[in-house]
Amino acid sequence: MNSVIHLQDVWKRYDMGKAGGLSVLKEVNLDIKQGDFIAITGPSGSGKSTIMHIIGALDVPTHGEVFLQGNSVRLMGQNTLATLRSKTIGFIFQQFNLLPTFSALENVMIPLELIDTPDAEAKERAEALLKMMGLGERLHHKPTELSGGQQQRVAIARALANNPDVILADEPTGNLDSTTGRFVMDFLSRLNEQGKTVILVTHELSLVSYAQRVIYIRDGRIEKEITNKRPKKLS
Amino acid sequence: MKFKRSFKIALNIIFHSKVRSWLTILGIVIGIAAIVAIVSIGQGAQQALAQSLNSLNANIITVSPGFSRAAGAGAGFRGGFGGGQDFGGFGNARSGSSQKNLTARDVLLLNSISNVEVATGYISGGVDKVTYLGKTARVNIEGIDPAVMKDIVTTDLSTGRYLVKGDSGSVVIGGRIANSTFSNIDINRMIVIGGKNFRIVGILQQSGGNDDAKIYMPIESAVTIIDGKVKDNYDSVLVKIKDITLTDDTVTKITNTLMASHTILANKNPDFTVTSLKSVQQRVTSTLSSQSLFLSAIAAISLIVGAIGIMNTMFTSVLEKTREIGVLKALGAKNTDILTIFLLNSGIIGFIGGVFGVLLGVLSSGYVASISGVSLGGGGRMGLATAYVSPQLIIGVFTISILVGLISGAIPAYRASRLRPIEALRSE
Repeated sequence: MNSVIHLQDVWKRYDMGKAGGLSVLKEVNLDIKQGDFIAITGPSGSGKSTIMHIIGALDVPTHGEVFLQGNSVRLMGQNTLATLRSKTIGFIFQQFNLLPTFSALENVMIPLELIDTPDAEAKERAEALLKMMGLGERLHHKPTELSGGQQQRVAIARALANNPDVILADEPTGNLDSTTGRFVMDFLSRLNEQGKTVILVTHELSLVSYAQRVIYIRDGRIEKEITNKRPKKLS
Repeated sequence: MKFKRSFKIALNIIFHSKVRSWLTILGIVIGIAAIVAIVSIGQGAQQALAQSLNSLNANIITVSPGFSRAAGAGAGFRGGFGGGQDFGGFGNARSGSSQKNLTARDVLLLNSISNVEVATGYISGGVDKVTYLGKTARVNIEGIDPAVMKDIVTTDLSTGRYLVKGDSGSVVIGGRIANSTFSNIDINRMIVIGGKNFRIVGILQQSGGNDDAKIYMPIESAVTIIDGKVKDNYDSVLVKIKDITLTDDTVTKITNTLMASHTILANKNPDFTVTSLKSVQQRVTSTLSSQSLFLSAIAAISLIVGAIGIMNTMFTSVLEKTREIGVLKALGAKNTDILTIFLLNSGIIGFIGGVFGVLLGVLSSGYVASISGVSLGGGGRMGLATAYVSPQLIIGVFTISILVGLISGAIPAYRASRLRPIEALRSE
C-alpha cells in the first residue's frame, strides 16, 4: 500500500534561551499508509500533539524529514504547503476552531473557497456535508448558536469539504459528551472504511480501540506500536 | 481565496469591533474633512478672486510714476477705473529712485505701440468743497480724457451718459455719492466743485467698488480744481490693450518706450512702474495658494495621526485574530490570502473615513466660508459665499484616504500573513 505520510528520524527541539533546549520529539520514525487508522496516544506532554502538527505540515521538524505523498515538506514553499494542506489533509480540533463570525455553512465553504471552487458548487457541497452531519436545519447558525457536539460536527464537515485523503483529529471528543463522542468516533471509523487515512491523537485509551495501529509516545519517543487486529467497529 | 470572501472577512473584522473601528475611522474623517475644507475654501477664494478680477478691465495696464522693485508683480495697481476691488496691499509703489510725472508726451508715445487701443493720462485728488443743494462734502475727483471714459471705466451707468469728447463743465457721479453723500441728485442738475459749477451728465451704478465715491470730470477742468496739479502731467496712465494674450509683450514694449523717452539706461531702474491686472491676479493667486498649502500641511498632520490610529487598530486586530489566522492557514490559506484580508480591512477603514470625511469637509467648508472672509494678503479682504469642491479634490482625497488606510495597514497585514500556522493556532 502507498505511504501517504513518512516521518524519518524526526526531532523537534525548542530553544529555551539560557535554560538550554527542550527536545519534544526524538528520533521519530513513522510510516502511515493510505487507509490506515492510527491512534497516537501517550501522557500529557509526551509530544503527541507535536507529531500531529508535523504530520499536518503545520510545523516543521528541527531535524529529520517529513514526506507527504512522497514529497519532502522541507523542500516545499509556504504556498505549496498551504495548497497541500487544503487538498490533502482535513483537520479536526478539540476546540472546534470554527470562525465565530461566520455561519455553519460559511465555515464549511471556506476550505472550498481557498482552492477557488465556484460559489454554487461550494455551497452545494457544504450544504450536503452539513446535512450528512445532521445539521440541515442549522446551516445559517453561528457557532455560538450551536452546541459543542453540533460545532464539532460542523468542524468534521469542514474537514471533509475538499475530500482529503487524510483526516487529522486532535482530541476530537475532548469537549464532547459521551454520546456525541461516540458519534464522532463512529463517523471517523466510517470514513476509514471508505478509504480515508485517519490519524487520531488522544489521551483517552478507550478511543484507541477504534484504530488499527496504536502508537504510544513517551518523552518524545515512540515507545511502542501495537497493531490492533480487531479494531472496534461501528456501534 | 476568492476576493469576495476576503472582503467579507475584512468587513466582519470591522463590524465585530465596532467601537474601535469607528474611533479609528473618526481619526481619518477628521483629517480628510480638514483637508477638504481647507482646499475647497482656498479654491473658492481663488475662484471668487478670479471673478472679481475679471469684472475689472483685464485689458487695462497701469503706468504709475516712481519705481517699485515689486513692480513686476503689480505694485501700485489701483482698481479705480475698473470699478471693482481695492487691492490695498499692492499700492504705494513709489519707493524707487527719481520720480518723474508722466506727461502728455508719454501718452502720445504709448498710443503708438501696436497692441495699444488707447492710452490716457489721468489725475486724481480730494476736493474739500463739493456742494449740492446746500450740503458740502469732501469728495475724490478723477480727471480723465472724456473721449475715452467709456473705454476705461467699467462701472455701468445708473442713468445718463459717460463723458464724451468735447464735454466741458460736465461730471459723472459715483453711485454712493449720488445715493448717500448727497440726496436728490439727478442728471442735468448742477453741482459745485471747488467753487465752479458742473452739470451732472451721468450717475454710475453703486457697485461696491472705488467708483462709488468718485466724481469723474474732464482732465482740463480737474487740473484747475485739484491742488498741485499741472497741465499735461498725470498721476497715472491707463493703457487699454487690444489682445490680452499679448499682455506681457505689451508691458515690455511700454517699459522700453518709456525708458527711452525718459532717457534711462537699460541697466538702471526706471522712474515708473508698469502694472498689468494679469500680474496682480498671479500674485494674489500665488498668495492664496501658499496659504492653502500651508493650511493643508497642518491638516495633513491630523491625517498622519489618523494613520497611526489605523496602524494601532490593525495591530490589535491581528493580535485578536491570531488564532483565526492560524485556523485559516491550517485550512489552506496562503500568506497572500491573509495579507489581502488585512489590507482590505485597513483599506475599507480608509474608504469609509474618506466618505464621511468628504461629507463633513464639504459641509464645514460651506459653513466656515459663509461666516468668515478670506484674506487676500496685504490687508485686502474678500468675503466668500461658497467654497468650491472640485471633482478632482473629491477623487484626490478619496485616493489619499484609501492609500493612508492601505499604507497604515501594510505592516500589520504583512506580520499577520507571516504568522506560522502552529504559533497562530496556539495563541489564546
